[in-house]
Amino acid sequence: MAVIGVGRFIQQRQDFEDAIARSYQVEMGARVRVAEGTGGRAARATVAAQADRRSQLQDQISSDTRDTAILVAAGLIAGLTGALLLFSGLIASMRRPLEELVDAAGRLAGGDRSARVAVGGLSETATLGAAFNEMAGELELEASQRDQLDRLKDEFVLTASHELRSPLTSVQGFAEILMLERDSLTPKQVETVEIILDNCRHLVRLLNDLLDLARSDAGRLAISPKPTAVAPLIDDAVRTMRGQTDSSKQLLTQQIEPGLPLIEVEADRIRQILVNLLTNAHEYSPEGASIEVTVGVVGDDVEIAVTDNGPGIPESQLEHIFERFVRGDAGLTQRVGGTGLGLAISKSLVELHGGMLAVESTVGIGSTFRFRLPIAGKPVGGGPSRAIAEAG
Amino acid sequence: MTRVLVADDSETILLLMRTRLELAGYEVETAADGQEVTERLHEGDSRSLPDLLLLDAMMPRKSGIDALRELRAAGVDTPALIISAHQDATDANAPTDLEVSGYLTKPIDFDRLLDNIADLTS
Repeated sequence: MAVIGVGRFIQQRQDFEDAIARSYQVEMGARVRVAEGTGGRAARATVAAQADRRSQLQDQISSDTRDTAILVAAGLIAGLTGALLLFSGLIASMRRPLEELVDAAGRLAGGDRSARVAVGGLSETATLGAAFNEMAGELELEASQRDQLDRLKDEFVLTASHELRSPLTSVQGFAEILMLERDSLTPKQVETVEIILDNCRHLVRLLNDLLDLARSDAGRLAISPKPTAVAPLIDDAVRTMRGQTDSSKQLLTQQIEPGLPLIEVEADRIRQILVNLLTNAHEYSPEGASIEVTVGVVGDDVEIAVTDNGPGIPESQLEHIFERFVRGDAGLTQRVGGTGLGLAISKSLVELHGGMLAVESTVGIGSTFRFRLPIAGKPVGGGPSRAIAEAG
Repeated sequence: MTRVLVADDSETILLLMRTRLELAGYEVETAADGQEVTERLHEGDSRSLPDLLLLDAMMPRKSGIDALRELRAAGVDTPALIISAHQDATDANAPTDLEVSGYLTKPIDFDRLLDNIADLTS
C-alpha cells in the first residue's frame, strides 16, 4: 500500500508540474498579446485566469500530497503490524517445543527415565526434539540394563551363599565329629582339624557378610528393633571376644554408665557390630594392647565406643576403611582373619538403626570407632521404613 | 531309644546327621525328601512314627515345609525342627499356619541342635 502511495504521489507531482508549466505558457502567450495590443480584454482575462488556475492547482496538490502521506503512513503501519504478527507467531511456534524440551530435560535429570517430548513445530525444534528422545531412549535402555545386572549380581550372591552352606555344613560337621574323638588323635591331627574348623568359621563369616551386603544392596537388609537393655549386649560381645584377647594377652575392659535407658535396636545386629569392631581392635593391635568399650548417654542416644591403643590408621587409609574388601596394612602382613567386609556391614547396620559409625585414629596412639543408637520410645531419624535403600 | 527321622536331599548331610546323632545316643532314620517322609508316616504302622522330625526346608519333589503341613493336616503332632540354608529361616519369618518346634540354619550348630532335640523328646 505504501508503495502504491509513493507511486501515486510521484505521478500527482508530475501532473501538477506539467499543469503549472502549461499555465505559465498560456499566461506568457496572453501577456505577449497584451503587450502587442492584439489580445485586448480577452488576453488580460486569460492572464488573470491563469494566476487563479495555478493557485487552484497548488491547493489541489497540497491536498493530494496530504492524502498520499496518510496513505503511505497507513501502509507502513499495516506492514509493521503484519511483520510483528508474523514474528510473534514464529516465536510462539519455537517457544512451546523449547519449553517442553526444558521440562523433559529436567525430568530426565531428576531420574524420570521415561521423559520424552512430542516432536513437532519448526523443523529445527522437531530435529532437536527427536534428538532428545533418542538420547533419553538410550539412557533408559542403559539404566534398565544396569538394573538388571545389579539384580543378577544380588541374586547370584544370594544363591551362591545358600548353595555353599550344605557342603560347608558337611566339612564343619565332620571335622567336629573328629574333634569329639580327639583323645584318639595325635597332637598333629588335632592341630590339623582345628585349622579346618577355623577356616570353616571364617567361611561362614564370609558367607554371612556377603549375604548381608547383597541384601543391603538390594534394599532387603531390614531390622526389627525392640526395646533392648544395653549392658547385656556389651557383656555378651565382650564374653565372645574374651578368649581371643586373652590368648593375645590383650586387656579387654568395659565402662558402662550406670542406669542406661533401653535402646530401640535389633539385639543380634548390635552384637554383630560390636563383635566386628572388637575383632578389628583385637586383630590389628599387638600383644598386650588394651581394648575398651565405653557406653554412655549423649542427647537422645546411647553412644557406644570401641577404643584400642593399637597402631592406628594412617590418614590416607581412613576414608577408605568402610569400603568393601579394604583392609589395613596390618591385615595384609599379620594374622588378621577378617573378611574385609565387617566395617562395611557394620556401617550399614548402624545406619539402619538411624545412627552413624564414625572413626577417629592417630598413628602410634590408637583408634576409636563410635556409633549412637536411639533410646527406646523416642522418635528416630531413620523414618518409618528402616531398610537401607541402595547403598554403593 | 529315642528315634529321630532326618530328611535331607544330600546324602552327605544325612550321613553327618546320622553319625553325630548316633554318637549322642539317638536312633536315626533317614529320608531323601518330603515325599518319603509323608509316605512312611502315612503307612500307619506305629513303628514308623518317630519321636522327632528333622526336616530340610528345601528338597526336590516335596519340601520339608510341605511335608510337615501335610502331616499336621493328617493329625500327626510329632515335634519337628526345620533346617534351612536360608539365613532368613527364623521363627519370625516362619509360616504362621505351621506348628514347628524350631528353626535351625546351615551350617548346623550341633550343640544347639542336640539341646533342642533333648528338650523336645524328654
